[in-house]
Amino acid sequence: MSSIIQVERLTKRYGGKRGIDDVSFDVAEGEVFGFLGPNGAGKTTTIRLLMALLHADGGSARIAGLDCWEKTIEIKRLIGYVPGEPSLDRNLTGGQILEYFANLRGGVDRAYLKTLIERMDLDTSRKFRQYSTGNKRKVVLIQAFMHRPRLLILDEPTSGLDPLNQQEFDGMVREAREEGRTVFLSSHVLSEVEKTCSRVAIIRDGRIVRVGGVHELKDIKRYEITIAFAQPVPADTFARLDGVAEVETLNNGLAVRLAMQGAADAVVKAAAQFPVVSLTSYEPSLEDIFLRYYERDGGEAPRQVARV
Amino acid sequence: MFRSIYLKSLRDYRVPILGWGLGLGALMAVVLVAIPTVFATPAAKAAVVSLGASYAWIAEPIKIDTAGGYATWKYGITILVVVIWPLLAGTGMLRGEEDRGSMDVLLSLPRGRVRVALEKVAAMWTALLAMGLVIGLLTFAGGAKVSSDLTLGSSIAFGVNIALICAVFLSIALLVSQFTQERRTASGVTAGILVVAIVVDMVHRVVPNTVWFSQLSPVYYYNLSKPLVPGYGPNPGAMLILLALSMLLGAAAVWLFARRDVGGVSLSLPERSSQPVRALPRADWSLHSVYSRSLGMIATSTLWWTLAIAGFAAWMVVIVKQTEAQLKSLLQGSPAMGDFLKLGGSDSATNASILSAFFLFMPVLLMAFAVTQANRWSADEEDGLLEIVLSTPQPRLRVLLGRFAAVATATIFISVLTLVATSVASAGTGLSLDYGNLAAASLSIIPFGLLVAAIGYLFAGWLRAAVDTGLLSFLLVIWVFISFIGPGLSLPDATQKLSPFYYYGSPLLHGIQVADLLVIVAVGAVALALATARFARKDIPA
Repeated sequence: MSSIIQVERLTKRYGGKRGIDDVSFDVAEGEVFGFLGPNGAGKTTTIRLLMALLHADGGSARIAGLDCWEKTIEIKRLIGYVPGEPSLDRNLTGGQILEYFANLRGGVDRAYLKTLIERMDLDTSRKFRQYSTGNKRKVVLIQAFMHRPRLLILDEPTSGLDPLNQQEFDGMVREAREEGRTVFLSSHVLSEVEKTCSRVAIIRDGRIVRVGGVHELKDIKRYEITIAFAQPVPADTFARLDGVAEVETLNNGLAVRLAMQGAADAVVKAAAQFPVVSLTSYEPSLEDIFLRYYERDGGEAPRQVARV
Repeated sequence: MFRSIYLKSLRDYRVPILGWGLGLGALMAVVLVAIPTVFATPAAKAAVVSLGASYAWIAEPIKIDTAGGYATWKYGITILVVVIWPLLAGTGMLRGEEDRGSMDVLLSLPRGRVRVALEKVAAMWTALLAMGLVIGLLTFAGGAKVSSDLTLGSSIAFGVNIALICAVFLSIALLVSQFTQERRTASGVTAGILVVAIVVDMVHRVVPNTVWFSQLSPVYYYNLSKPLVPGYGPNPGAMLILLALSMLLGAAAVWLFARRDVGGVSLSLPERSSQPVRALPRADWSLHSVYSRSLGMIATSTLWWTLAIAGFAAWMVVIVKQTEAQLKSLLQGSPAMGDFLKLGGSDSATNASILSAFFLFMPVLLMAFAVTQANRWSADEEDGLLEIVLSTPQPRLRVLLGRFAAVATATIFISVLTLVATSVASAGTGLSLDYGNLAAASLSIIPFGLLVAAIGYLFAGWLRAAVDTGLLSFLLVIWVFISFIGPGLSLPDATQKLSPFYYYGSPLLHGIQVADLLVIVAVGAVALALATARFARKDIPA
């Protein structure tokens, strides 16, 4: 499948401060691509470079084979965009805002637009300043989807939406994917990415630290095995085995919790030498993988959090 | 500095305190230091005295032949600029925080609303006092070299008087903002009140027996104190009135703030309950393009400015006709008034020449309107309002030029309505004017408005909205100084050519001066081209 987004060594600095550095990734046409990272990691900077709202200091970004900066108008005909912190004219009603952007885009099917308004349950007669956070988000989401764009670039799109509307949003993304359209979704709501996206990129401190399929990331993941024994077992029994990253002794040696990376064959064989009461394996979620990439000494994601 | 709301607010004001205080103080110091040059000869001193009499309607000339008197008179004209920062800070203090949503967080702290508001007001008053002190000290520094009459005490009193008038408009802004949904509206209304207050104060200097009317304006009480004028000094009663007024209005604002919804307004009309609507608006002309939307956005403010500018022009026509005889005798008997007429391009005291001199204010007013429009552009960009617009297939060039075209349409509208109003006034009063020249005088102000808007757009390429507006306002004041006071001070021709007003000429007498007007058009076009080039490449704020 051809790439609709090609980012190569993209770099942006804000004066002396870091923006993003040497960011590279591809997004295939028709996929739902997750872009993960904590606040300040560089997600929004990357997206705003794709949208030609920022000018890159180095590298290249192409959408549908076109340079994002040079061919920005052609590209924007293909895109629906939800900014991270949307700001709209506070004195216009939701309906006026949607009508205005429909006119600026051109070629918007008003019947489809009304369907979206119905689906998102938006009262279009109220002024933007009178909307709740969730309703403001609905207006921005509708304007991004209303022209059935080939590519949706969504920066934390569901923040402020209630579960019902989040479900509706999931449905809209699913439909877009089924119609062969591409979704580039930045988020730190990992469950959302896990259930929606086929591939993810993880960005940290302005650099991409991982790109892969959601399932692929799970395959290379660190996982945990907890084994309960009928009698105490020496901890060093498992410490040097292949695939064991960490050992934690529990309940006075009656159980061990093993952090694993790789095959569990050696562990199972070693455990078989003792009377085993139970053996449980814990499959980490994408969240665990995500947090692992941000693990650092004294950092925002200490190990004990990663294991919860 | 983060231990209390008071200290945090004071910290926020540290740059304006220094910037505004040093700027306005330095302006005063420069005026004082230049006095030996201005009063170089007895003839020059006499000319200044005469000039002061001509401009008495702007600022009262008392002992203008002394350093303190001259500086006070000259500084009096800047009152409009002095009050701008407190005005903006007053509307931003509570309403601005509500607009940004930060008031919700602030009020989640275990502090009462009244205390929050009072701490902020106290910080602002402290800031104004500090600003007044800086102005006072710089006044003393500049004045000590040229006059022994200027003492530290009188200089400080001068600064305190400025702080007091600023405090009054701060309180007015704070009070107005309790009744508006947005900070921007409150700033506009308060700016309108400021202009009205200045005009009301002027009235008693122009029309006899109207002191009672001018006493309705706080600016009147500000002008009663003249601490730098020898033998005149501060007026404690007037200063107390300003203090009481600011406390009263401030207290009313805090009282209202404590009783209304956060994000709501005092005295709001109850909303009609209605069923949710899912429909889209039909046939709304303002939603078709960036241009039409921009026009829709500025429509209301344009109408108010049209009313003010066209009304002012028509009023001038009526005044010139009604006071025809008195003005002619006054002008023929006063050499300084002769100089004033020369500004309008004539030596003779005909109705047209008198009106021509007054008409010089028309481009100034339109340029002030353009400053507000440039501010709106840079504020919208700063607030991230362009982000989604630029995510549509609209070239940046079209977005900027669409907005500029809307401002151009507004200036044309204002000019045409000014022409209509003055024509009607002329016909109604029987004042004989050349209608071709009247059209030239009314319509040739358009490039001046566009010039300022273009320069404002250019500045917005680099500067924040507040700095952009401040710089543009300052530029406007400098130009007014050069063109209106410059001839009286015999400024070199090269300096006078730096002011756009030089190129306005005297269209009411001599018709459109195409070559001069082309200079303004060319400079405006270059500024717009540079603004466009900058906007096409710059990073758009989130």
